[in-house]
Amino acid sequence: MADRILKKEDLGRLIASVNAKGGQFIAPALDARQVVFKPVTKAEEVVTDYIVARNSYKELVFPQTEVVADFTIGKHGVDLKGRDVAPQETIVFGARPCEAVSLSSLRAIFTWDYIDEFYTKREDALVVITVACTKADDVCFCTTVELSPETKTGSDIYLKETESGDYIVEAVTDKGRAFIEKHASAFSEGSAKAKALFIPEKIGTIDLKKISARLKDKSHYDDQVWGRLTRKCIGCGACTFVCPTCHCFDITDEGTAFAGERRKNWDACQFDTFTLHASGHNPRHYQYQRWRNRFMCKFNYYPEKFASKGCVGCGRCIRVCPVRLDITEVMEEFSK
Amino acid sequence: MEEILRKKAKELLESGEVKVVIGYGWNRQRTKTTPVFITDAAEADRLVWNPLCVNNLSVYLTRKFKDIQALGKPAIVAKGCDIKNIVVLITEAQFKRDDVYIIGMTCEGTVYRQELWKGELKPEIMPTKCHNCDVRNPHLADFVVGEKSSFTPPETPTGMVFDKIKAIDAKDQAGKWAFWINEFSRCIKCYACRQVCSLCYCERCITEKNMPQWIETSAHPRGNLSWNLTRAMHLVGRCTFCGECERACPVNIPLNLVNQKMIQVVKDAFDFRSGYDEKTHPPMIVFSPDDKDNFIK
Ligand code: SF4
Ligand code: SF4
Ligand code: SF4
Ligand code: SF4
Ligand code: SF4
Repeated sequence: MADRILKKEDLGRLIASVNAKGGQFIAPALDARQVVFKPVTKAEEVVTDYIVARNSYKELVFPQTEVVADFTIGKHGVDLKGRDVAPQETIVFGARPCEAVSLSSLRAIFTWDYIDEFYTKREDALVVITVACTKADDVCFCTTVELSPETKTGSDIYLKETESGDYIVEAVTDKGRAFIEKHASAFSEGSAKAKALFIPEKIGTIDLKKISARLKDKSHYDDQVWGRLTRKCIGCGACTFVCPTCHCFDITDEGTAFAGERRKNWDACQFDTFTLHASGHNPRHYQYQRWRNRFMCKFNYYPEKFASKGCVGCGRCIRVCPVRLDITEVMEEFSK
Repeated sequence: MEEILRKKAKELLESGEVKVVIGYGWNRQRTKTTPVFITDAAEADRLVWNPLCVNNLSVYLTRKFKDIQALGKPAIVAKGCDIKNIVVLITEAQFKRDDVYIIGMTCEGTVYRQELWKGELKPEIMPTKCHNCDVRNPHLADFVVGEKSSFTPPETPTGMVFDKIKAIDAKDQAGKWAFWINEFSRCIKCYACRQVCSLCYCERCITEKNMPQWIETSAHPRGNLSWNLTRAMHLVGRCTFCGECERACPVNIPLNLVNQKMIQVVKDAFDFRSGYDEKTHPPMIVFSPDDKDNFIK
């Protein structure tokens, strides 16, 4: 049977087709000397030799800052008008299999006790085209969290690179199939040999079951181990902001005394003000306690509440951390 | 050097002179260095020293790290450039000279980012500060590890940062504005620049004051500009060009250009360079009746 192929010379045609039909095409591209997801209009902008983009594409479904309402304050009180979200069709090309999985994690939280339409409508308009990994670096650990470059969950379309730089196309969801139909002229038929995928070695000393069993027993809370391993954390939000599953936000009002916007901005459990009470008391007084929360969120709260994963093993938090705090070292410790 | 460093750390911990040694250790793969806090003399062998020791560990001496302060008197492994920040902290009364034991490392330079390391320290992977460094022999220390360095910095400072500043200075107002708006537009308000900086030690940063909200926390152009400019202003005459903020920035904003430019401005206006003398107060916090400018009189 012939395969469906996306030829490298047809990538430009696909981008043009998406743009012509009113969609935006997001792909890994160079920005300030690093590979990040950003809108592209030409195939030449797309970088194909990369491990994972520096940022996560979550900003397409959960923007860094967005207006959720407008307010005016008059004589008779506050007038608040909610905004509607009418997202543009958005294609993310070149996602990796690990981060494709993270969408279900975000959906789980944004539809948990309240349906957040700012998220769901955007996700509905998002088509994820994954390119399976043919290389990895020393911090990729998808296989340690039971995923791999072969994982297709979360991808609408799953691509494998061929030796000649083309892609073998597999539609995974109906959304993916509809996308291919809509832009049929960019795809062709043929047969090609896929490049071998690179499957990172599982970190043998890590055992997810043991981690979650140990975290469940809250006696670890004041364990010295947190301080020992994570006291070096300086409490920036870098890891949480690049993480494809981190999802915390803050609501803030901006404007004058009479009118303004209510905005939803990314927030991070690593910030000291995150849990600071008005009284001045902070239940997470020390930075390592804040880091403990990040770990608990990913390996205890998530598995307890949702079927989806808290961490997909993309390694972004390790790459970006100014003090090189490696989450797998903590996973190792809690696997003992 | 590593052996001498470990021996010294062991000694200090065993004698009880210090309770914790803040230094560098390996990550799990032994490919990158990461800060370590040694409280047990038996663990002193975890300390390492090599050109990957980029972090300015002086941040851990600040009051942001109450848990580290609670451990007791620290010794810190510090390069000359890191010691500059310690000097500023002392001049700003964050602690006294005797409150910290400085293990000064003579230094032949570090990499700009650990990711650039391919087993050899070549000039092109070193930051601008190293090419112009006049503190390769630690200028303030209780104990110095390493052979004396004979490096003399060039007469006129050289390197990428200086070249770029010249290029920006040559632009007109609109060009400068466009340059910085474009750079700051990438800011994601993660505050890594602030957190990694030992001179950003305020417990409540102005950006966290929200009654009223002085600086908009949104990462839109207005919010980004006010954040980055305010932070720069708060570092004038204090920043030592250690480069940590630029290194930490996940979106590669060239903060070193701001840092070095401020240093040049302060040098021209006050003939002052921060970080060299722990007994001289920085110009922004002193009042002098014989100030050569008379606007304040
Ligand atoms: S915690 Fe780290 S490795 Fe896990 S998904 Fe987030 S960024 Fe990726
Ligand atoms: S773990 Fe690293 S990136 Fe995350 S908050 Fe701490 S210092 Fe920042
Ligand atoms: S600036 Fe000087 S002391 Fe600092 S790392 Fe470079 S050479 Fe070493
Ligand atoms: S270079 Fe950056 S981190 Fe270093 S002192 Fe200056 S502002 Fe702080
Ligand atoms: S580290 Fe960079 S992205 Fe983060 S707040 Fe500072 S300038 Fe912005």
